[in-house]
Amino acid sequence: MRNETVTTEASPQAVLQPTGIKRFFKLMMRQKALLAMSLPFVIWVFVFKYVPLWGWTIAFQHYRPNLGMFQQEWIGLDQFRFLFADDSFIRVLRNTIAMAVIKLVLGFVTAIVLAILLNEIRIIVFKRFVQTISYLPHFISWVVAANLISTALSIDEDGIINKVLMWLHIINEPVLWLGVGHYFWGILGISEVWKDVGWNTIVYLAAMTMIDPAQYEAAEIDGASRFQRILRITLPGLKPVIIILLIMNLGNILETGFEPQYLMGNGMNADFSENLEIFVLKYGISMGNFSLATAAGIFKTVVSFILLFSSNAIAKRMGEERLF
Amino acid sequence: MVGKKLSILSLTIALTATLAACSSNNNGNSSSSTTPASTAPSSDASPSSSASAEPKEDLTPVTFTYFNANSQVPDIDSNQTEIGKKLEEQTGVNFKLQFPVGDVNTKIGTMIASGDYPDVLAPDTAIDKILDAKAFIPLNDLIDQYGPNIKKVYGPYYNQMKQADGNIYFLPFSAVVGDYQPAPTIEQGAFFIQRRVLKEFGYPKIKTLDEYFDLIKKYNDAHKGDDLTGFTSLTYDWRTMGIFNAPMHLAGYPNDGDVIVDMQTHKSDIYSDDDSTKRWLKKLNEINNEGLYDKSSFVNNYDQYLAKISSGKVLGFFDYEWEVDQAIQNIRKTGNDDLDYLALPVVFDQDIKDQYLDPNSFVDNRGVGITTSAKDPVRIIKYFDNMLKEENQVMIQWGFKGENYEVDDKGRFYQTPEEIEARKDNATNQKVGFTYFNYSWPMYGLGSTLSDGNSLAVNRQPEVAQASFTEGDKNILSKYGVQTFSDLFAKPDDRPWYPAWSIAIEQGSPAQIFQQKSKDVKLKYFPKLVLAKPDQFDGIWDEYIKEFSKLDVKGFETTMDGLIADKIAKVTGSSN
Repeated sequence: MRNETVTTEASPQAVLQPTGIKRFFKLMMRQKALLAMSLPFVIWVFVFKYVPLWGWTIAFQHYRPNLGMFQQEWIGLDQFRFLFADDSFIRVLRNTIAMAVIKLVLGFVTAIVLAILLNEIRIIVFKRFVQTISYLPHFISWVVAANLISTALSIDEDGIINKVLMWLHIINEPVLWLGVGHYFWGILGISEVWKDVGWNTIVYLAAMTMIDPAQYEAAEIDGASRFQRILRITLPGLKPVIIILLIMNLGNILETGFEPQYLMGNGMNADFSENLEIFVLKYGISMGNFSLATAAGIFKTVVSFILLFSSNAIAKRMGEERLF
Repeated sequence: MVGKKLSILSLTIALTATLAACSSNNNGNSSSSTTPASTAPSSDASPSSSASAEPKEDLTPVTFTYFNANSQVPDIDSNQTEIGKKLEEQTGVNFKLQFPVGDVNTKIGTMIASGDYPDVLAPDTAIDKILDAKAFIPLNDLIDQYGPNIKKVYGPYYNQMKQADGNIYFLPFSAVVGDYQPAPTIEQGAFFIQRRVLKEFGYPKIKTLDEYFDLIKKYNDAHKGDDLTGFTSLTYDWRTMGIFNAPMHLAGYPNDGDVIVDMQTHKSDIYSDDDSTKRWLKKLNEINNEGLYDKSSFVNNYDQYLAKISSGKVLGFFDYEWEVDQAIQNIRKTGNDDLDYLALPVVFDQDIKDQYLDPNSFVDNRGVGITTSAKDPVRIIKYFDNMLKEENQVMIQWGFKGENYEVDDKGRFYQTPEEIEARKDNATNQKVGFTYFNYSWPMYGLGSTLSDGNSLAVNRQPEVAQASFTEGDKNILSKYGVQTFSDLFAKPDDRPWYPAWSIAIEQGSPAQIFQQKSKDVKLKYFPKLVLAKPDQFDGIWDEYIKEFSKLDVKGFETTMDGLIADKIAKVTGSSN
């Protein structure tokens, strides 16, 4: 931009410094190549991100796919009423939030700890080996992963968890892990960590490379121990990344995912495994009640919006890094 | 510099991709539009000739397009197959047969959006969309004028085929002609038991649930060290029938879904809160406490369930044959007949007549129709009519005499072992044309019987079924003194509304919400009931009933009563 203004002053017409609309069009003409290049992407964003918002209107209709927009029957807030009045809604919301918090906290802590540990390893080959092993599960689809997990947890002969625990005399008889509701959140949390911890460390490891090595050297000369260096240099260095990621994840807190809960859920643990997405699938999409599904989507968006903006505002108040 | 180059490169790639996408679209359009165009001259000529009192059939060669969404096989011209060639000789009509690649709904959606259809269309599950889009032409007048054979085959079913406006838009595939011939092997639900159990105790006759479990218990006790599973079930996703539906069958009813329907009053009854369900779960609770029940039944997914049965260590289970077919095929591959299963019609008490076999029913939500894009519906309906001549039905299902089947001196059709083998070979089936013709066309329903008493469907002919049984099959059939596996079951009574589960319930209606809610409650309480200590059973049952009765059971039953009455009226009402 600065270059731009310099050339402007040099050109004879610009000396007059036109203002308002005139200036706008002038600038536009001068930047027409740039504008032309960005136009497709603006259209793309508009078509794929803003036009679909129009679809929100079906949350207020008794939507029938074969009818046109103007033939739809408008029912106001009935879908929202059904959603909030349903007995299971509170339970489903509780599960969603609980699983989201578990996932968020566990995910953050384990990824940061693993990243710090990896950072301290000096044998590069070993470091790469651990890194590769830990992020491999990320590439397994949840369908396969859920099969692996439920096989490992089964009470049959291939259920390795029960076998090991029996062998260690921690339990006396095999436990039907997926059949006890209370265990589900824990199982889900551990599964998520197993699947994504390696992947999540990547961004932290990248952030650590940005920390000036001179700081470590200075600290070492000052006699800081390894633990102190982690605490006083690495962690503060990571703080901006952690806060940004936290804000972004808070915005998505109601998106606890759908696959693991759906694939590992069953009648016995449904009280704890059923989340908002599964509720929407059952009572919305699979019944052709797209209006309800949309209403739930709007609810989620509103919650996400509030969380995102409030966490961002808090970060701002505290003078920390923030999203916008 | 590098950045600039990169951006130019990516732009180029994006552009080429867009262009390629456009051009492939164009190709698709042009090829599909040229086909009807090339046939246009000949079809233009035909109406005039057919209008004149037609002493001679119009045999000018013509090619139509047919998109068949029911199966995914290679595209072909119908006259490239032996059957198609014969039919072309009779009618002069050739079909360009097309099949979906990928998602049917997307393909049909595209057709609707463009308004460009093939001449003939079998849209499978997307048929509602096609009807909504009014893409089929009404067939009533065409059939009246040109379809004597169509009238003969489909006449009895006109009431069910008519849409709300009184028109017939498509021809379904299940119009039974002659006596109904049930399948000789079990295709429905049953209590399965491993053959070694029966063998060990000299093939006893099993009628009741108690006898069934007693036998399993006796066998398991005698083979303690073998790590056997007495009985397993599946409750996964929508596959919950293995545990939900059993009480209905045990009480002597066929599979009507969530309800049993009284034969006299035609009133429906939710059985999930009835004594029959209590009795079934109590029995499972009992065998669970004897260590015979597979505890992981309620957490296993479908793959784990199939793997379990495939292992050959499960002595018994209740399910529908099509659900466990893969596992049973795996066991057959081992060649060990002892590990194979026998399907039994088990009921609660000696005096209950079992009704496992599906009564003859007419599936009226699948079919083939002529679209608004068709150039010459008259030639097409004549082709359809010609197909429905009995000799052509024989050719389409059985093939050619001396090549694909034989006829003995009593006029019975049969197949030599080589012919049976050849019928299992895909390449042969495609060459002869069975793959392309024996379904998804106007046809006799597969349970039909020909006028000479032979079965229309090859595998339903007792002689063929007999010949395809293994040694083990024959052995166990002879032990029970029956010809086929379905002979072990009682003949199905006539139930005009059957199957109640296929009656469409309005999307998102209270009845549908009830179905989902009751499923949730059942899925929560059934495991508790089965896995509980015996003395806790009654307490949990009361709790379950309390939860269940919070739902609108009466409302659902009333809705079903109405729908069943409608269907009965449609099925039995005089054709008008």
